[in-house]
Amino acid sequence: MAELKVLFKDIDVPGIQTLEVYEQHGGYSALRKALGMTRQQVIDEVKASGLRGRGGAGFPAWIKWNGIPKDESQPHYVQCNADEGEPGTFKDRELMLRHPHQLIEGIIIAGYATLSKVGYIYIRGEYTEPARVMRRAIDEAYRAGYLGKNILGSGVDFDLYIHMGAGSYECGEESAMMSSIMGERGQPRLKFPHAPLPTIAGLWNCPTLINNVETLSCVPAIIRNGGAWYASMGTEKSTGTKIFSVSGHVNKPGNYEVEMGTPLMELLELAGGVKGKLKAVIPGGSSVPILPADKCDVNLDYESLQAAGTMLGSGGFMVLNDTVCIVKFMRRTAAFYAHESCGKCTPCREGTRWMVKIFDRILAGGGRMEDIDLLLDICDQIDGRSYCALGDAAAWPIRASIKHFRHEYEYFIKHGHSMVEAQAEHSVGGR
Amino acid sequence: MSEAIRLSEYPRAKRIDERQPPELRFSERAVQELERIKRHYPNKRAAMLPALWIAQREYGGHLPPEALMEVAYRLGTSYAVVEGVATFYTMYNKRPVGRVMLEVCTNLTCSICGGYEILRHLEEKLGIRAGETTPDGQFTLVEVECLNDCGNAPVMQVGNRYFGRLTPEKVDALLEELKNSEEHTVVQLADTIVQCHLSESERQDIERALAKAQAGSGGQDGQNG
Ligand SMILES: Cc1cc2nc3c(=O)[nH]c(=O)nc-3n(C[C@H](O)[C@H](O)[C@H](O)COP(=O)(O)O)c2cc1C
Ligand code: SF4
Ligand code: FES
Repeated sequence: MAELKVLFKDIDVPGIQTLEVYEQHGGYSALRKALGMTRQQVIDEVKASGLRGRGGAGFPAWIKWNGIPKDESQPHYVQCNADEGEPGTFKDRELMLRHPHQLIEGIIIAGYATLSKVGYIYIRGEYTEPARVMRRAIDEAYRAGYLGKNILGSGVDFDLYIHMGAGSYECGEESAMMSSIMGERGQPRLKFPHAPLPTIAGLWNCPTLINNVETLSCVPAIIRNGGAWYASMGTEKSTGTKIFSVSGHVNKPGNYEVEMGTPLMELLELAGGVKGKLKAVIPGGSSVPILPADKCDVNLDYESLQAAGTMLGSGGFMVLNDTVCIVKFMRRTAAFYAHESCGKCTPCREGTRWMVKIFDRILAGGGRMEDIDLLLDICDQIDGRSYCALGDAAAWPIRASIKHFRHEYEYFIKHGHSMVEAQAEHSVGGR
Repeated sequence: MSEAIRLSEYPRAKRIDERQPPELRFSERAVQELERIKRHYPNKRAAMLPALWIAQREYGGHLPPEALMEVAYRLGTSYAVVEGVATFYTMYNKRPVGRVMLEVCTNLTCSICGGYEILRHLEEKLGIRAGETTPDGQFTLVEVECLNDCGNAPVMQVGNRYFGRLTPEKVDALLEELKNSEEHTVVQLADTIVQCHLSESERQDIERALAKAQAGSGGQDGQNG
């Protein structure tokens, strides 16, 4: 039972945020190596690594990279998703705060492989502390000739701009983020096959590669050590390592990088064990279905978690002990999605608000037994019928909570108060 | 306590007539910054978010209709377009707010780790409810969604900094500190965000341009955007 550090390998090195120390630890050698390879060789290395998107969907990275047209008839862009808004997730924050050059190097390599001359890193407005670290590091990289015109004398140009958000979870959705970079409201576009993929028509209708901070931070190590090396870690379909942001009722909350396929209970131990008695885990951010304690005997990789009825998502790993009232907790979840719904489509905009109203009725003691099925019905109305995945994400956690904790809902409705609070000495959360 | 300012009750400023050229209030520095940032994108309309950040700083922490009008003018678009964007994002303040904003996370992890207790403590301490500003205009208290620093729950954002692992005692000490400090204000947050967009060479260019302008005409007021 141990961490396996790829992204975090040098994170404790004092001064690794500076270019000088980063270079002493092999920094930017991957970029030099990549510039000596053909673009297709770089993409093939990423393919061999089996790297999948760490932003939530787990889409194979190389397919996006390879999907960018191989000619320069239009400008191409790299869009780094540093909006990190998924509740429970704080890995991109640490990757930027403590290892900024690793990310910048990954972005430049992605730019080279996809014939892009411009990259935007979209950092959420609240993240001014990581953004200032990124700013300093980008300035250093320009001074050293890793960014700008004719990088390291290779004839390759690449400019990297920071674009700050202004408070919106939905802007983490890739096409909403494109709108936000273009100066519009953060609302998404139609998805493939109804509209072209961003790799064909993204920012300003030009080919755009969109990857998460963690995904791009993996790239330097993959290029340095080879895709096969990366693929030798993890499981067959979930290669490499993954950072889990562990929070809630554990003794040592924080980010832990483990090999894909590590047993869930081992991660809990790494995080210092559960405070109190384990009730449930939400393994991949607020958008993924909740996993009750008796189903926690599972491995942490895309396939195993899916088989267990949940998802790896962003790796936002929230731990709940038995003082948590699931009904109240889910009311807070529903309120989050209602607040963040961008309003573009009816099932999500209206459905999320109805769910909050129903929860409020239950919490006020006026719930009816039919309310449980009504909630499930609304989930069905939203799931798969919304413009973007925020709608689906609003439905899945509620549905799973009713599946696993229906008795708590029934108790609350029948007695007008929480089952957990009746049992525990004190209550936690909600008002 | 009764004079607490409720955000939603604040009087609406009069609508602006788009046919009149707007009154321009951006400083020369702001004009220079916006000029540079516009070049990051293929068209100037894309500089909308940074332009609104500049405006929020220039107008003292929030965006009155005059500020939206000025942004519209400087980006060559209409008031309605700018208002549509500004009202979408929660960090643009559409109403006046206090000098310092206390943004307490009550999202999932924080909700089970004492976030609501911190919020209630602040409400009591400041004598206002979430969403309100203290009568002296010092503090605005808000409840916010996940700040994504859940490992340090409960967390609060104060301007350009996060404060984590909060306890009522820590919050009390922090309030005292904030009262006597120029740090972490609403205006400073907007400025920090603006500066993050500008590269080192752009920042140097701006300083040079400002020095030149000052040497030249003894200080312009930046009317030419
Ligand atoms: C509502 C919503 C919010 C999202 N928020 C984020 C986010 O904060 N960060 C992120 O990297 N991806 C987020 N995503 C996923 C992105 O749409 C996209 O899949 C991802 O950035 C692609 O990068 P990857 O392939 O490297 O994971 C979100 C998706 C949805 C539907
Ligand atoms: S699902 Fe929700 S967030 Fe997504 S487009 Fe529809 S209303 Fe907007
Ligand atoms: S829940 Fe408060 S920071 Fe994430």
